[in-house]
Amino acid sequence: MKKELLIATSLAITVVILAYIATLGGGLGPLFSDLRPLAEVFLGTTLNPEKRFFTAMSPEGVTAIVWDYRGLDTLFETAVFYLAIIGAVAIYRDISEKVGFKGGGLGLSKIVKVVTKLLIPINIAIAISIALHGHLTPGGGFQAGAAMAVVPMILIVVFSRYFLLGLKLSKSLALAFRSIGLAGIALTVFLPIIMALLSGFNAYIMQNQVKANAPVGFPAYVGNVLISGSLILYNVFEFLAVTFGFSILFLLLSIEEDLVKEQMRGEVGEH
Amino acid sequence: MEVTYLLLAIAMLFALIATYLAIVERNLVKAVVLSAVQSVAFTLALYLLRAPDIVLVYLPITVGIYPAAILFLIKKTEEVEEL
Amino acid sequence: MSTELDVFLANTALISLIAIIGVSLYGILARPNIIKKIIALTIFTDAANLLAILVGFRRPPSIPPVLLDLQPGPTEITRFVATAVDPLPQALVLTAIVIGMAVNLLIIFIALQLYRLYGTLDVRKVRRLRG
Repeated sequence: MKKELLIATSLAITVVILAYIATLGGGLGPLFSDLRPLAEVFLGTTLNPEKRFFTAMSPEGVTAIVWDYRGLDTLFETAVFYLAIIGAVAIYRDISEKVGFKGGGLGLSKIVKVVTKLLIPINIAIAISIALHGHLTPGGGFQAGAAMAVVPMILIVVFSRYFLLGLKLSKSLALAFRSIGLAGIALTVFLPIIMALLSGFNAYIMQNQVKANAPVGFPAYVGNVLISGSLILYNVFEFLAVTFGFSILFLLLSIEEDLVKEQMRGEVGEH
Repeated sequence: MEVTYLLLAIAMLFALIATYLAIVERNLVKAVVLSAVQSVAFTLALYLLRAPDIVLVYLPITVGIYPAAILFLIKKTEEVEEL
Repeated sequence: MSTELDVFLANTALISLIAIIGVSLYGILARPNIIKKIIALTIFTDAANLLAILVGFRRPPSIPPVLLDLQPGPTEITRFVATAVDPLPQALVLTAIVIGMAVNLLIIFIALQLYRLYGTLDVRKVRRLRG
């Protein structure tokens, strides 16, 4: 440990000396110059009530780009995440997680359990708040899903995975909820086109607000509250899909090895 | 002198030291913990670069989900790397 | 505008980021255990994403790309465009982080199945076995 710490510190000092030499030579290039014109277009129209046909009606610039200006990128990224989880479930295709049930009294000590019981509702509340306010402050579907995915992991480690099975959170239930989230996203993608076909107008796929030649869109205000059209629906459904996707993975990873081996015995060769 | 640049330089140097120690460590549990330390330094750098959305995604994933999944994997397989 | 000390500190951050990329690349190529390769791959992905966000930064004083006024007039929007950092690299890095995480979790599952079928996680030994 001492030798490696010495080598690491000398590596850091080498980097500092190299930076000093580069500064004497005028620096490694212009230092953080002005914005590109495309960024000025995005920032100038993200919440602009005077240009109703170009705006996304959301004060949060990154969420507007992720779900409105470049919505198709996010759609295919959700598809990649979905396929990765299908790949993991396919590796465990013959193995059921409902085996090996033992009695109570498993998990870590009493102190850890009591502290966890206090912290889990706080975690769930923060994650739901991040998802619902994703169009007003930094947040959104992925952030909320990642923050909520810590909850099943902590429950498996502190209370043992039979507690999760006792709460009826099995692999098929998590797959069902994830499919509900993905179906919600697909419905929100196609809803402007369905409404436009029923009334004879023009519409685009994944359309948020009203455009110049496409007069069907989502409302930006409900009463006095700014909901930014379709952005809030995308955030909520993506939160559901990401949370239950992660809980499938943790449920499958935590099955004990000897239970897996005795269910896989027909496929494993000798080594 | 800008405080942003000074803190950014300190965070990146700290991350460099943690990365080197994580790669050359032979006990895999310690390597995962050092990788989480490097992620904390990166989170400070991302906050200083005015990217709060990325901080909210990065922190649960690299400090919560990756070490948990890799620790499950270490428990089921080997724990010390052989050179 | 920017003094010599600012240029020196920014160059330190950039060169140390390139050094992190180099060290993690050594970790992927030279270490024979698959778990060490997975750890080095996550560090490499994070450093590349940080480099992409560094491209979109703006000289301080600057603010994140979040508008704080819910009913802005033209003056607020002009001031916002003049001081906010670039939001496009942040959106692209968000997509890249989620895709990288999905692929890394799939690699962890495949490594587990590899251990069950071959009995070892050392790539030099797996190369010699024939399944």
